Amino acid sequence: MLQKTPIFPSATEPTRGGLRPLLALRFALREMRGGLRGFFVFLACIALGVAAIGGVNSVARSISAAVDSQGQEILGGEIRFRLTQREANDAEKAWIASLGTVSESASMRSMAQREDGSNQALVEVKAVDGAYPLYGSLVTDPPLDHETLFGERDGAFGAVAPSLLLDRLGIRVGERVKLGRGLFEIRAVLVTEPDAVSESFGFAPRLMVSLDGLKAAGLIQPGSLFQYAYRVKLAEPPSGSNALKSLRNQASKLFPQAGWNVRTFENAAPSLSSNVERFSQFLTLVGLTALVVGGVGVANAVRAYLDSKRSVIATFKSLGASGNFVVLVYLLQIMLIALVGIAAGLALGAMMPFGAQAALQQLLPIPSEVGFYPRALALAAVFGILTTLAFALLPLGRARDVPATALFREMGFEARGWPRKTYVVAALAIAVALALLAIFHAQERRIATIFVVSAVCAFLVLRLVGDLVQTIARHAPRVRSTALRLAIGNIHRPGALTPSVVVSLGLGLTLLATLALIDGNLRRQIGDRLPDVAPNFFFVDIQPHEIEDFSMLVERELPGKLIRVPMLRGRVVELNGKDTRNLKVAPEGEWVLRGDRGITYSATVPENSTLVEGEWWPENYDGEPLVSFSAQEGKELGLKLGDTITVNVLGRNITARIANFRRVEWETLAMNFVMVFSPNTFAGAPHAWLSTLTAENATPEEESRLLNAITRAFPTVTSIRVKDALDVVNELVSQLSTAIRAAASVALIASVLVLSGALAAGSKARVHDAVVLKTLGATRRMLVRAFAYEYLLIGLATAIFGLLAGAVASWYVVARIMKLSWTMLPEVAVGTVALALVLTVVFGLIGTWRVLGHKAAPVLRNL
Amino acid sequence: MKTHVIELKNVSLRLGEGASSVQVLRGVTLQVERGHSTAIVGPSGSGKSTLLMVMAGLERIDSGEVWIAGQRTDQLSEDAMASFRGRTIGIVFQSFHLIPNMTALENVAVPLELAGHPDPFSVAEQELAAVGLKDRVTHYPGELSGGEQQRVAIARALAPQPAIIIADEPTGNLDQTTGRQIADLLFSTAAERGTTLVLVTHDPALAARCDRQVTMRSGQIIDAPSPATANGE
Repeated sequence: MLQKTPIFPSATEPTRGGLRPLLALRFALREMRGGLRGFFVFLACIALGVAAIGGVNSVARSISAAVDSQGQEILGGEIRFRLTQREANDAEKAWIASLGTVSESASMRSMAQREDGSNQALVEVKAVDGAYPLYGSLVTDPPLDHETLFGERDGAFGAVAPSLLLDRLGIRVGERVKLGRGLFEIRAVLVTEPDAVSESFGFAPRLMVSLDGLKAAGLIQPGSLFQYAYRVKLAEPPSGSNALKSLRNQASKLFPQAGWNVRTFENAAPSLSSNVERFSQFLTLVGLTALVVGGVGVANAVRAYLDSKRSVIATFKSLGASGNFVVLVYLLQIMLIALVGIAAGLALGAMMPFGAQAALQQLLPIPSEVGFYPRALALAAVFGILTTLAFALLPLGRARDVPATALFREMGFEARGWPRKTYVVAALAIAVALALLAIFHAQERRIATIFVVSAVCAFLVLRLVGDLVQTIARHAPRVRSTALRLAIGNIHRPGALTPSVVVSLGLGLTLLATLALIDGNLRRQIGDRLPDVAPNFFFVDIQPHEIEDFSMLVERELPGKLIRVPMLRGRVVELNGKDTRNLKVAPEGEWVLRGDRGITYSATVPENSTLVEGEWWPENYDGEPLVSFSAQEGKELGLKLGDTITVNVLGRNITARIANFRRVEWETLAMNFVMVFSPNTFAGAPHAWLSTLTAENATPEEESRLLNAITRAFPTVTSIRVKDALDVVNELVSQLSTAIRAAASVALIASVLVLSGALAAGSKARVHDAVVLKTLGATRRMLVRAFAYEYLLIGLATAIFGLLAGAVASWYVVARIMKLSWTMLPEVAVGTVALALVLTVVFGLIGTWRVLGHKAAPVLRNL
Repeated sequence: MKTHVIELKNVSLRLGEGASSVQVLRGVTLQVERGHSTAIVGPSGSGKSTLLMVMAGLERIDSGEVWIAGQRTDQLSEDAMASFRGRTIGIVFQSFHLIPNMTALENVAVPLELAGHPDPFSVAEQELAAVGLKDRVTHYPGELSGGEQQRVAIARALAPQPAIIIADEPTGNLDQTTGRQIADLLFSTAAERGTTLVLVTHDPALAARCDRQVTMRSGQIIDAPSPATANGE
């Protein structure tokens, strides 16, 4: 029996207040019974972006975790003291030895030559003692003990080298090479050097010998460029960072003039860690771009879904649901679907470190340490949620205002225009939160800010470009071609594909064009321009007594412009009496204070330099030590004329006053120094000479002949062929750009997904149009032409914008940040336009082909 | 003493903007008594459906007053009106407007759930039984015939025990036989519960079954005779 009395006491009094989220969730789940149809692009875009961010950060954390957990092995000890151009003195050695077990090593760059002198190669020499390695193990093939590997036998010391060097020299294990004045027998192939990551970047393959062997080679001479390192396995394991810090302080206090670089295992490979961090943050931004591009897909999918739900929304309202309740029901659905995408993305991202393991093993000789990194994945999930919210709120806001009256009038439910202010403000606030998260997550916030601002500008401008294209189409004069007229009509009619295609494809194309132009310009600089202006050779470690003979030999073998300068290594330890370790300087200028810098002295202004401020010292100047500083770096460090600089050279602190600033043309790769001192500063200090040779029309054969002759005559002089060094850099740039392009392609895939989604969403309207036009006499051919024109025009407009925006962005990076020359590269321009046209026309026509196949009758019945 | 469950006083409404705007209602005054059935008839575009929307609080009026079940509704906020409507007015549409992803039972339970009823599904089940769909509770709208869908819609409209049912061409999408069955159901359940019924129809036979016929033309009521008895003439 039904109740006869009203079941609610007062009609206007709500029985329960608020939004009732549980009820909304119940309704949302019921509404989702229809499945996730129409959400493929939404899911794919979110999953892709989240996977990219989660994956990149997980891989970065796996590297950091490996560096952190294997600090001792990577550093080769708990603490390492490194000295440049000198061995530790007895007092320093005694103190280091008192700390625990010590392993001593020396490293330098030199030339290895075949025993018969027929071939030579640049090598990174590392000489080790019997205690090496204190942590980890040196892996060689065959595995041999220290004495067998490096000991003296039949007049030759032992050495190990990676197969790369053996291949380069064309020798095998058991054969001999000359190093300096010594003879070395290759006893095994070097497979793993446990502490390689903590060493400086190597331009050349390793040649590992013993300390005795290195001494016998005669390479350690006053003024030559070598480093000594003392790694310590502490007698008492350190009880925390404070113990290591106090040890470091003790070292500075006991030996203030030592000028050593002290590193602890807690920060075993700082440059690797910071590069990995920087690279991962850059890739995170690229991943975020993919997510934002995908956001357009999210917005399209949400709009299409809510459009299909408008009668349901109106029904809910007519049954007593408030507007906010309706929004909550659909917001919950969208978020549930987003969570499916995010979960898929996280699963992919979490697997990435496992997938990257093999590739990383080749790049970084760190024992792999892969696992799950919840923080990296959480960051990706937050980015995913914020992106979904930012892009879903506006369509949801529009859904809130679906009028229930539409149910009575049996009219369409299309709602365009802006939703209520609350939704616009909320969407903006979430977009700002997204941007802030991206910026604050980044170490280099300035670059992240530029990236975010550029992305926002590109987004807004693309919206305007979309509108502009539609406005132009609307006002275009009537053309004779029916197909073209239809195409132009399609571009501007309500619900046209133009805005979503322009925005989604435009963002992906802009990113791709930017990266391609940066990469192309860098390669052009390294591959084409630099070899033209750079010298052919650098010669390092020429002893004072060799310099004249050396010059004569060069003159005889390959005449050219030979420049010789004295060369020392020094570390800047104080600026105006303040310890540089405690100074906060602009990031661009940090490199000057980090590690050793080459320094020189000169009575006259060096070549490739122009005095911009101050006076050069007189030729016979003999007063207080003076220094000429590079103007750009001086500005970055906040230096002015009259400031003092203290450098530690050969274990002595020397203070000089800035007499002038020079503009240095670094990009010529000629001999350039940040600091040039007055000659009296280093009077009597032992030093070697550095020399460059520029022989403009030298052939590779002539260069090889000179290299061979110099290595034979001056075995301790290190010759670096600039072309070889540039090849190494080019290879590095190419590896980096491959990684960056791979990341950028994720954004392009997102673009393509959004594009295909937009085309699919538009296909219903297209079926309708096609059928009506066919009944009115249009042929398939004409329809295909009309659609092709439409896609072509939209693709072209997008490509032109993408290219222009990419040009501006890449110009900024290349010309303003990297300070290199920038040119527009025609191949990138053509490539971008072609890619855009292929994507729009091919994807568009694939969708259209289906449309054209539709029979007219079923469509007409439903009109 | 007569009680007016619906009272419209000099209601005017203009829709659209600028030159394309249309005066849809022009000073409409109408009283509907509790428990009576009223048919609103008139040519297309005369303002019948708009008048229903105004009664349901789905359309805001420009001037005049709307009183529903003793409550002045033209001044209620959108959300207060939604809540009021959910419990006071049941609506039956020509195209049924059931929610496709919900079963018949869930569709009927929606207004009860929205109103915070403690046991919506038992009531919904009773309502479906009352409209002869006891065996169809777990069916989705797509699995039901047009007549069955409209029965579900009637059950949904009746479930919160509203004071008023308004129906917009309730038989307009049904064949003659089914239409008659639906009309029978609508009139009998309304009469049984003492629910006021206001419907818009083009069907003279359906209109004739109502206690009273109100004729509209050009946004005005041109004929609103005194209500006949519940049994017809």
